[in-house]
Amino acid sequence: MAKLIGTDIASPDLLAKITGRAKYAEDFRVDGMVFAKLLLSPMPHARVRGIDAARALAMPGVLGILTADDVPQLEAPGEACLTNEPRYEGEPILALAAVDEETAAAAIELIRLDLEPLPFALDPLESLRPGGPDAWTEGNVLVEGEMKSLKWDGVDFSSVAQGQLPMGEVTTEWALGDVDAGFAQADVVVDETMVHQTQTHHPLEPRSTLAYWRNGKLFAHVSVQSTARMRASLAGALDLDIADVVVVAEYCGGGFGSKITGSPIMHVAPLFSKKIGRPVMLRITRYEETYVGRSRPGFQMRAKVGFRSDGRITAMDLFIVEDHGSYGGGGDNGTAGVLAHLMYQPENIRVRGVPVFTNTPPRAAQRGPGGVQMLTILEPLMDKAARELRMDRLELRRVNAPREGATFGPRETPLTSVHVHEAMDMGEKLFDWQEKKTWSGRRNGSKVTGVGIGVSPYTAGSVGYDGLLVIRPDGLVHIHQGVGNLGTHSVMDTARAAADVLNVGWDQVVIEWGDTSRGLPWSASQGGSQTTHAHTRANHAAGLDAKRKIQDIAARTLGGSPQSYDVAGGRVFQRGNPGRGMSFAQVAERAVALGGEYDGHTLPEDIHAMTIESATALVGQGLMGVAKDNFGRSGATYSWVVGFAVVEVDTETGHVEIKEYTGVADCGTVLHPRSLGAQILGGSIQGMGVAMSQRWVYDPKWGAALAKRLYSARPPSILDVPMDMTWAAVEIPDPDTPVGAKGIGEPPLGAGGAAIACAVADALGGRLVGRTPLTPDVILAELEGSKRPWRPLDVHVG
Amino acid sequence: MDEAKVTEVLEDALSRRTFIKGVIAAGATASSAGYLFRSTGGLAAATAVQGTAERLLTLTVNGQQRRVDVLPHETLAMTLRYKLGLTGTKLGCDRGECGACTVLVDGANHYACSMLTHQVRGRAVTTIEGLQNPDTEALHPVQQAVLDEGGFQCAFCAPGFIMSMTALVESTPDFTREQAAHALSGNLCRCADYQKILNCAMRAGELARARA
Amino acid sequence: MATIRDMIPAFGLFQPTSVEDALELVNDHGRKAWVLAGGLDSMDWFKDRIKRPEVVIDLGAIDELRGVRETGGALDIGALTTLTALERHDAVQKLFPMLAEAARHVATPQIRNQGTLGGNLSQDTRCWYYRSGWPCYRAGGNTCYASAPQAMNREHCILGASRCVAVNPSDTAPALIALDAKMVIRDRRRTRTVDAEDYFVGPAIDITRMTVLKANDLLTSVHVPSAWAGAQTYYEKVRDRGSWDFSLVTVAGAFWASGGRIEQARIVVNGVAAYPVRLHEVERAVIGAAVGEETARAAGDLAVQGAKPLRHNEYKVALMRNLVRRAVRSVA
Repeated sequence: MAKLIGTDIASPDLLAKITGRAKYAEDFRVDGMVFAKLLLSPMPHARVRGIDAARALAMPGVLGILTADDVPQLEAPGEACLTNEPRYEGEPILALAAVDEETAAAAIELIRLDLEPLPFALDPLESLRPGGPDAWTEGNVLVEGEMKSLKWDGVDFSSVAQGQLPMGEVTTEWALGDVDAGFAQADVVVDETMVHQTQTHHPLEPRSTLAYWRNGKLFAHVSVQSTARMRASLAGALDLDIADVVVVAEYCGGGFGSKITGSPIMHVAPLFSKKIGRPVMLRITRYEETYVGRSRPGFQMRAKVGFRSDGRITAMDLFIVEDHGSYGGGGDNGTAGVLAHLMYQPENIRVRGVPVFTNTPPRAAQRGPGGVQMLTILEPLMDKAARELRMDRLELRRVNAPREGATFGPRETPLTSVHVHEAMDMGEKLFDWQEKKTWSGRRNGSKVTGVGIGVSPYTAGSVGYDGLLVIRPDGLVHIHQGVGNLGTHSVMDTARAAADVLNVGWDQVVIEWGDTSRGLPWSASQGGSQTTHAHTRANHAAGLDAKRKIQDIAARTLGGSPQSYDVAGGRVFQRGNPGRGMSFAQVAERAVALGGEYDGHTLPEDIHAMTIESATALVGQGLMGVAKDNFGRSGATYSWVVGFAVVEVDTETGHVEIKEYTGVADCGTVLHPRSLGAQILGGSIQGMGVAMSQRWVYDPKWGAALAKRLYSARPPSILDVPMDMTWAAVEIPDPDTPVGAKGIGEPPLGAGGAAIACAVADALGGRLVGRTPLTPDVILAELEGSKRPWRPLDVHVG
Repeated sequence: MDEAKVTEVLEDALSRRTFIKGVIAAGATASSAGYLFRSTGGLAAATAVQGTAERLLTLTVNGQQRRVDVLPHETLAMTLRYKLGLTGTKLGCDRGECGACTVLVDGANHYACSMLTHQVRGRAVTTIEGLQNPDTEALHPVQQAVLDEGGFQCAFCAPGFIMSMTALVESTPDFTREQAAHALSGNLCRCADYQKILNCAMRAGELARARA
Repeated sequence: MATIRDMIPAFGLFQPTSVEDALELVNDHGRKAWVLAGGLDSMDWFKDRIKRPEVVIDLGAIDELRGVRETGGALDIGALTTLTALERHDAVQKLFPMLAEAARHVATPQIRNQGTLGGNLSQDTRCWYYRSGWPCYRAGGNTCYASAPQAMNREHCILGASRCVAVNPSDTAPALIALDAKMVIRDRRRTRTVDAEDYFVGPAIDITRMTVLKANDLLTSVHVPSAWAGAQTYYEKVRDRGSWDFSLVTVAGAFWASGGRIEQARIVVNGVAAYPVRLHEVERAVIGAAVGEETARAAGDLAVQGAKPLRHNEYKVALMRNLVRRAVRSVA
């Protein structure tokens, strides 16, 4: 059989998606279903002194309320699904259920809250000032698990007005070498302060939940990135036995890190359903999604980088104030520092960070967490140095980018493979960098051309999960997948690893996914670009296990040694004598008859408890392949995308048009080319949105969100990007994983964002604007030399 | 006013059934007898004027006549999703900003979240469920094109995009990639799979022209 | 009262089929009624539960309010004509391409398929404080949140502030003013016509309204006279995103020129005040002047004299100046 890996096959769920039959969480209906609505905090920080719901509860059709007193509360800084101390405007205080949403909404309006306003902080830097407000009554930073109030007493804040980040006590710090010594060897030093805005994830599907209980079991229809892991997360949060939780999540309308294993708000419907004894639908609106839907942490960052005249980086000193939001959940500053070290391999490095809590919605990983912020800040800074060094910008990156044998991070971790140089080489040709770089500064009327490069690494795979498949008497290979279906196609594509081992065609494969009652194996969470790597390995392992069992059965049945048998096209047959064999259907029946390990009666000892449970439920249904990924790995797995862009900046309007974009990936073996292209280009566009348009705006006096709508938050539209973009992959297999494939979800964002940020700076003659997003007002102010719309270190503006 | 051709939609407080309850009634157990809703001025004002109460509408959806009890302030998206069971029409923002709820009304693409169901009386509504030929199960050229090109990622936007593509293909069989981008610019894809979406649109044009 | 969004409160719905019936209805219900055209702006207010009319009068069934009629090079455009119909209409494209272009710049195809010319002209401001339901002057309160010292006002006005600093979001309004259009307004007793320029009101005149329409008025049609058919025009809308977005600043200009001199000019800017601003002084300055960069520069500089930017929108001064320059520079 031809291998499935590397070919374009439409995902088996595509027909459902294009006919409207695919059911997302809010598409389910259950008998007796009632509706819940949320009452959100009108204040950024307050204490609930009283809730008067008498009039609401008296309304016909109202079934009850659920308050913070009804839901598990967590130690600081943990986030419960409902709170008596809201820490951001829009935080859910209570939910109300009624027979319909209209009644619920009308009833909520009758509730009277008695709120005691508390001091609030929106800007991390303001919170660090002596006497500044703390987001929590307990403090503004987390030190060794304890909330603490950190103020930078004795630190001179006067530099803020000049746009330089003051630097005081931090909560995380690591260094390799001696940065002072490194700077002493530098011929060129750049030192910049930049602001990277916070942005809401805004997946297109809001995080609605339908929940009900049957015979003590919770059934939850959720919008979640990771199916199997959501079960554990929900069981943990609600203090349930995992066996009593059924998660149905066949489709997820995007998550981008905001729904990795669910979200606290998804606990409301299960708890409410339990309380009132009815199935509860909590339909989250876009307005609510803006608040409870997570966001990328912003940075106020100072970066000082020293270069020798040959371009080699001698020292890098990074200082990051991270906006930690109301409940933490980011921590991107740590990743940012590690990625900077990986990418530029500075001879000496120091990374300092302080995540500061603010009274703004919770942060979470957002596709390329830390990398995106760091790259849109550092890559233009590289270009600034290249100008001073009179070096080609691609060359400067080549001088510093890691090669085989490189290590990175505080523990000097090695890599399984690194082919960023090949990606740069390929991109140089595909994009024609040598020609296009001469377009820099070219004028066409009021428009100036800029070109830019963004190089972006990101972690791309984990190990140690389980694969599970059953070949049934229908002859089909049923591959069970516990990862989620959020559009990356890895839930389908990684199954090819098992199919290829068994040498079957795609039409002989059935994928079982999206519902934990179908028997799903323990799986990686669908985040951090893990699943392509983790589950090609797990499925390869399950495939090998099944193949071994098939060969055994053939040998037992037809004679000879197991090794003398091969598999292809749904048959097992003797090598050199293809007529002597059995169909998979026959093998499956034989496996059931034999029992033991063949049909799952006995299971490997090293697989996870969830896999055991699932496999046990599938016992006796056919030949079972089940195995843990025990393939070795000698380092960390990272993928790369190199982005190249051409932009035109209109000097009279500040408008930026992205004219061209090329993205080239180093992600090992390609599983599904067309889907890879979609990841590279789609991810790059998301990065462009981060760099160019997406915003997050707060009124400083009232602590209230202003950019609450999609049109005011501005994710990129189809008219904001080139109508034709190109992509490629170097396709060098990673040697540390059997299939050779590495993940790709994260790295395109940094590449797209940085390439555009660099191209805009290039069009501006190398000037750095010092913040994202690079909107027309910011650019025009820079060009006009007029007053900038924002003070340099201002956050949540736009 | 009696002679005036005014269609007044009366909110009858006694027989009122909210649309969610309509669904529940259709779906199963559901609640109880009708309950009195809050009496707003809207109720009083509506009952004060004579006219025909036309809560019960006949809608033409996907070529079928459907009798539905529709509240005056009910949006088309809600009627489709919660009364007619047509959940292919998605709600991404419910504010006419994302396009996930796009349907065709007399062949033109509209945001179903941002029109009242009463505004489509007498007009033909087509949803994603109505594209496939019900007899032959043949896909619409746009659906076939998406299948051919492996379109969409999370696909929550897909039904809306497909409806906008359908409006384009059926009104302008021959179009450029740029025209396609403009025609699809009222639909948001957060996965930003725009390149592949445009490939699908171009392929849909080819298929539609071949079929014509 | 606790706040909740996204469920439309109940209202009674009327769908009259004639203008007379509609006028009776608005007359009977007065301020308790809400007139619905395409409904996009309205739907937002309803879903936010901020505007809660008792009755809604949907004009969509009134055929006589739809369509474009050409008479001797002039156009009469029914207020309920959709923006798509306007954009695609042959006579509009032939006589007043700038109007078609303006319509094309509105929001998205779906919105243009439903949104009407009358609605686009009469829509409310998008000030995000006001639209959040905050009790500002425009909402009947006694403060302006957007002009407070720390307020976020990047998209607010640089001209014509009077307690309120909101801007007019209409894309078609500046084009129609530049083309010297007339708005036809009816109430139960009479039909009156106002210059497009006078249709819009700033906060100094009435802080709660964007137009001269009173509760019992209907905008029934827009008359575009033949005088500017075939004139040189310039239209540009600058916005953050290529789709959906409202304008930061928009310029619309109509010019007659010959022999290298500008003979007549009408120049309008939107997005800078609560009403589209016609630049009378700039028009006077450019009429009779030679076409070219020098006139354009002077026009741009003159246009922004007296502009008073807020804390976060000084860029609008440069943007407005540059767009006016471009408009005048385009004259050949």
